[in-house]
Amino acid sequence: MIRVDRSIIFQIVNFVALVLLLFRFLFKPVVKALDARSSHIRGELERIEEEKRSLEEERKKLEEELRNLKTKYLEMLDQANREAQRIKETIIQEAYREAEKIKRDYERRAQREIERIFTELREDIVDIAEEVVKKILKTQITPEVQTQIIEDMLEEAVRRIEAEMEIAHEG
Amino acid sequence: MRDEERVRVVTPFPLTGEQKDIISAKLSRIIPKPFTIEEEVDPSLIGGVVILWGELLIDCSVKTQLERLRERILREEGFSHGDHQ
Repeated sequence: MIRVDRSIIFQIVNFVALVLLLFRFLFKPVVKALDARSSHIRGELERIEEEKRSLEEERKKLEEELRNLKTKYLEMLDQANREAQRIKETIIQEAYREAEKIKRDYERRAQREIERIFTELREDIVDIAEEVVKKILKTQITPEVQTQIIEDMLEEAVRRIEAEMEIAHEG
Repeated sequence: MRDEERVRVVTPFPLTGEQKDIISAKLSRIIPKPFTIEEEVDPSLIGGVVILWGELLIDCSVKTQLERLRERILREEGFSHGDHQ
């Protein structure tokens, strides 16, 4: 026959009562608190996930804007380069035109100066030649030569006048 | 004397008798009236003669011939550097 000690039964009853009490007053609130905590964490995770998605979208949007800005910047840079090139070419062409004009002006002035010098030189040469010829002629014109000059030149002049007179008379 | 025309004859040297005869003979072909020659000496003429009768001027001086030659030389295009623009 099995002999059951009373104290053991009492201890079992106590233990069961303790378990029931623990279940009732400790385990349930703990589970409830854990559930609430878990739910809160899930909510937080979802919020974080949502924020993450939102941030990702924002990042993509910013990247798109950055790409657009970069494209726009490159286009503006290209346009600025083209404009700078056009201005450069215009300036070079104007400089060439101006240089050509200055060159032509200088050539014209040089030409005029050369012509002036040649004219003066020519006049000087003719003056000198005239003086030399006069000096030579003064020594060479003897009374005989003078008579011959009068004879020849006056004859020619008188003939011309006679011809004119004849024409006037006929008219 | 009053009916005679007066002709001025300018020469670089005083006229010789021969020269005066030559001038008179030639002028008589164009001056129908009697005329007298008034002589004048101008050494700048160099040679030849200048005759003035009324409004008629006959310039046969070497000085004028040289001046004409000078003008012709200065006008000569071949002598000029320019005129090719």
